[in-house]
Amino acid sequence: MKKVFVVYATDNVGTAVLEPIHTGDHVGCNGERSDLEVIALDPIAYGHKIALMDIAEGDTVLKYGLSIGTASRDIKEGEHVHAHNVESNRGRGDLAERDAVTAE
Amino acid sequence: MSEFLGYIRPNGDVGIRNHLLILSGTVYANGVCERVADTIHGAVPITHANGRCQVAPDLRVTRRFLAGTAMNPNVGAVVIIDHFKEEGMTAEDLADDIAPTGKPVATVNIRGDGGFISAVDKATRYAQDFARRISLHQREAAPMSKILFGTECGTSDTTSGLASNPANGLAGELLIAQGGRMLMAECTEWMGCENWLTDKAANPAVAEAILAGVKHMEARALASGEDIRGSQPTGDNMAGGLTTIEEKSMGAVKKIGDSPIIEYLEIAEAPTKTEAGNYVMYGPGMGAESISSMAAAGCQVLTFCTGGGHTSNHPIMPTIKVTGNRGSFELMRDTVDVDVSGVFYGEITLAEAGQIVYGEVERVCNGYLTKSEALRDNNSFAIHRVGPSI
Repeated sequence: MKKVFVVYATDNVGTAVLEPIHTGDHVGCNGERSDLEVIALDPIAYGHKIALMDIAEGDTVLKYGLSIGTASRDIKEGEHVHAHNVESNRGRGDLAERDAVTAE
Repeated sequence: MSEFLGYIRPNGDVGIRNHLLILSGTVYANGVCERVADTIHGAVPITHANGRCQVAPDLRVTRRFLAGTAMNPNVGAVVIIDHFKEEGMTAEDLADDIAPTGKPVATVNIRGDGGFISAVDKATRYAQDFARRISLHQREAAPMSKILFGTECGTSDTTSGLASNPANGLAGELLIAQGGRMLMAECTEWMGCENWLTDKAANPAVAEAILAGVKHMEARALASGEDIRGSQPTGDNMAGGLTTIEEKSMGAVKKIGDSPIIEYLEIAEAPTKTEAGNYVMYGPGMGAESISSMAAAGCQVLTFCTGGGHTSNHPIMPTIKVTGNRGSFELMRDTVDVDVSGVFYGEITLAEAGQIVYGEVERVCNGYLTKSEALRDNNSFAIHRVGPSI
């Protein structure tokens, strides 16, 4: 079975490090969460992330046991997790501008 | 508390090496420095491009880098060479800064001592005397709590945030459990995970300083025309799978573990506290400047986490390269010290990887040569500039 790497036990995403993953592949976890197994719904390239469970819109995406952003829409177990379905909560220059305008 | 065998200095600091440093006070003394070091057994030259025509704030930073490097516990004795009446920082000024450590220091002035040939003659005789004197020093047992452990990452890749950096953070926690201190610089990389750091700050002043440090670095880049916040993560990062700036930054700052951050330091400034825990320092992501600032702060040992395989090695602070990329380790087998890529293959856990890194740190503290030390590839002394040359 192909394996992704999970840094921390509470993470809801894993990273493809050993080999690229194709749609329909059964995927297990190295690192933490060796109990989990998911079926890939998308191709996951080297360095990219796969959802280890369903993540609802507005939920926190966890890697290293810490927030790396918020789900911008519902993400299904096995889906590719990236900028198309995750929003940053930091360094948002666009929001800073919006907030500055609102403040005026 | 565990112990290591080190060189106990007159001021109580403990070195893990016993270097004779031939220190250039100015760019124009570099040639003499190198000639002296060529002649003397075990002498390490440190040369650089600074010391002349610098504005005062910039010169103060240069002075901290040079004096701090000489004050590092890994240095047993110092010969400083300058060339004329240096503007605001003579060899004697540097010697005064170093004097409180109690280590032997001598100064040579190229003009005052009669030109290149006479300066080389005089400095070489000092160096010969010092080399023999420090050769009498013996390693003695000292507690690991005396270690200030610096950490850096460079040429990072997908494996860095997943393996080498978190393993390193766990290694830091093992040292802190022994009463030691870990130091992280590169405040450019704190951007996006400031809250993770401020949550660990030992007091509000440390938290404020962390936020101010990030803002200052950002403003500095902006003043040069680069909006680093707006461009993060970069297009390459995104293509590589990094989704947000917090994901990228967390991968970098996981080089330190979960212990409190005791003190915030300005660049190349030595900690004023001895409490076990994490310490952070203002500074750029540029590897050579960053690790030189940590050596100047007194770090005896440094781990350099690298995905692509880095060559960085400081002349007086052993620089242990750690990678989570097996391909890089194979390619750079003569340069990269520790391979923790086994975590990806299910061969070792991250906790075990942390123990492997800490084990290497302990061995190097006891005298084991890093790969780059054995090669004398002393490529990474660089001074951070905060002002233009005038």
